[in-house]
Amino acid sequence: MTARSFVVAFLLAVIASPIAAQGFNPSKPIEFVTHTGPGGGGDVLARAIAAAMEKEKLMPVRMQVVNKTGGGGHTAMSYLVEKKGDTHTIAVFTGLWFTNPIMRAEANITLKDLTPLVRLVLEPAMIVVKSDSPYKTLKEFIDAAKQSPGQLKQSAGSLGSRDWVVRQLLMKNTGANWAFISFPGGGERIAALLGGHVNMMVIEPQEAGEHIRAGNMRVIAQIADKRLPPFPNVPTVQEAGFDIPNVPQVRGLVAPPGIPAEVVAYWEDVFARFVKTPSWRKYLEDQLFEDGFQRSAELNKFIDQYSETTRGILRDGGVKVVR
Amino acid sequence: MCWDSEAVEVISGLLHGFAVALTPVNLFWCFAGCFLGTVVGVLPGLGPPATIAMLLPLTFQMNPTSAVIMLAGIYYGAKYGGSTTSILLNVPGESSSVVTCLDGYQMAKRGRAGPALGIAAIASFIAGTVGVVGLMLVAPPLAKFALSFSSPEYFALMCLGLAMVVLLAGESMTKALLAMLVGLWVAGMGTDLFTSTSRFTFGNAEMLDGIDFVVVAIGVFALGEVLGNMEIRQGAQLLPVPKGLRDLLPTWQDLKDCRFAFLNGSVIGFLIGVLPGAGSTIASFISYGIEKAVSKHPEKFGTGVVEGVAAPEGANNSETGGAMVPLLTLGIPGSGTTAILLAAFILWGLRPGPLMIQDNPTLFWGLVASMYIGNVMLLVLNLPLVPLFAQILRLPAYVLYPAIFGISIVGVYSTSSSLFDVWMLGAFGLIGYAMRKLDYPSAPLILGFVLGDSMERALRQSLMMSQGDLSILVSRPISATMLFLAVLILVAPSFKKANAWRVRAIS
Repeated sequence: MTARSFVVAFLLAVIASPIAAQGFNPSKPIEFVTHTGPGGGGDVLARAIAAAMEKEKLMPVRMQVVNKTGGGGHTAMSYLVEKKGDTHTIAVFTGLWFTNPIMRAEANITLKDLTPLVRLVLEPAMIVVKSDSPYKTLKEFIDAAKQSPGQLKQSAGSLGSRDWVVRQLLMKNTGANWAFISFPGGGERIAALLGGHVNMMVIEPQEAGEHIRAGNMRVIAQIADKRLPPFPNVPTVQEAGFDIPNVPQVRGLVAPPGIPAEVVAYWEDVFARFVKTPSWRKYLEDQLFEDGFQRSAELNKFIDQYSETTRGILRDGGVKVVR
Repeated sequence: MCWDSEAVEVISGLLHGFAVALTPVNLFWCFAGCFLGTVVGVLPGLGPPATIAMLLPLTFQMNPTSAVIMLAGIYYGAKYGGSTTSILLNVPGESSSVVTCLDGYQMAKRGRAGPALGIAAIASFIAGTVGVVGLMLVAPPLAKFALSFSSPEYFALMCLGLAMVVLLAGESMTKALLAMLVGLWVAGMGTDLFTSTSRFTFGNAEMLDGIDFVVVAIGVFALGEVLGNMEIRQGAQLLPVPKGLRDLLPTWQDLKDCRFAFLNGSVIGFLIGVLPGAGSTIASFISYGIEKAVSKHPEKFGTGVVEGVAAPEGANNSETGGAMVPLLTLGIPGSGTTAILLAAFILWGLRPGPLMIQDNPTLFWGLVASMYIGNVMLLVLNLPLVPLFAQILRLPAYVLYPAIFGISIVGVYSTSSSLFDVWMLGAFGLIGYAMRKLDYPSAPLILGFVLGDSMERALRQSLMMSQGDLSILVSRPISATMLFLAVLILVAPSFKKANAWRVRAIS
């Protein structure tokens, strides 16, 4: 029943033609694209935004989350290009939308080909070890890694992901070397750490919190500009004496190419108000995310600068950079 | 003493759980979830993760216990519905029902669609219930055991699964192995997880994430079958339609034949479900393999034996109970559906993790009790549907075949909303047709495809852990045992052959 109504709603959303914007105000449900499948980081964020938006009544229409999975984000990006000029479509972007086109020739759309709207969150992270691990600090881990190069292991995502970038930066800074073992699912990464099969991982603070409360994990450093409230005694990577740039997971919104300036302005205003609402503040607080709000102009600058940094890190890590 | 207090704890927890689950509101949500799950399961393509994601916004106003009762209902309910199209149309409704096609569709061809659907529902009920019992009694210790599984063990498990190919082979082992290799190759397409290089994408961005399972399974099974049948141009009636109530339900003999299959499916499904990196598809394959291996008449498998339906259908149901174990006891999701349940917990303001059961006993026990109730509801809901669904077979071929085409295309499009996938579906339909013409079995292809990705990943992870030393695969006891079993399964037929030859030589 619901399945059918979803298909119908979805087809309608796809078929309906774009409407010209004049003193723009959305007139039909917004198609809210994410590149992750249900339950993935981008999907959860999109649904949280859609729900909070509805609760705060900042928009006259609903937001309908649409999953365009595949191609490391490329499917979603090329979908946006197809919807050129459509004022009723927006999408969540993440760090992957920067790294994917840099690393793969097939992924020939960059964020700059789309219309960046706003930046929303910067997600900090924790470097954790299992609670019975001998390493009490990040320095102890790094020293151990130096003593036996390649013996220690980190469970993580794919090449080019945030945890990979953190490892590259730390290894370059210290000359240490440890193995990087990719697991596609976040659950498998945690299982590998808790089962004692790997020595260290980079994890979302909210997730880490629960495992620390249960006595399964220990945080040895935080990847954040300043210490997060639940972890007042754990130093940030910089405080621990490692001079590397911070690598937040960044998420924000983009629209298809060819969007009139007034529509961009509309989205900027809606989200400028949105990020001040109690629902959103509570979400950020629960997830231990940092408010990373930026308007379109700043975001464009950020994209240039962030892409350049990423390109450098990838090159240093021995990854072929294609654009 | 300790055991006693634990038993008391379980009983009091369960009583509390039933008190929660039996309130009219929760009963209603449980039913709603089970009903939706059945519908979603019947529709190929659209699976539980997408449905749960769609319904998530509705649950924000609900009490989390009611919400999880409903969403879990969708999850295990879908496993009930998944067998329907597998049996009637050879269209696997869910990835875990692919194996059900092997014997289920053959049963339908022989006029036993009713008993096949009935036994699927009964096996689902028994195994689903066993899964909940397991979740309730052994969750914490089993979760600890699951953590001792890492990449080498997963690799061995996948090898064990792949060894099942000898059991899925038809006439010719060579053809079965070739089909499996094609499956492994297709699984390797896409992006290499470790180096991010693209493989066999031919410059297509759509291929970067590889080929979706639904595309391969529906293409090879459903479209291949339809294309093959269209050629035969048989009369208006496609399959014999069961007449009378007696032909619609499993016989006493069927149930007796399935005794072991019920047990096998329940236990295998649950154990594999607990492992975060395995999944219900491999559970269904392995239980089918075991069923065939221990059977007195293995040669009849694939021609429509009732155990061949009961074992995999049972396994994919008790897998849901198993998959809840790491989710609820450790906050570790093992599959797409449990990942979105985890996301739901967070959005409801719960804190999933090792302490969730302790912090929210009402939610845990309410969920467990609701799963008992839900399984009964599903049985009651599904058995009367059997005669109804069996009527689909009355449709004349000129209606049924286009309908299967339509269902397949919509099913594939609804999972990825990509037209490219629809084209790929067509391509795999042709491959399935060609395989049928040339007498290649299609199950080994699917088996290779399902296992290829995780197997390669597990092997490479293991080698990264050991810095390239292959001995890691045999120096760990669990992994060594499973590898030994896999070899045993692989060489068993040759022994049998040699033995038969010797016997003949002597006589």
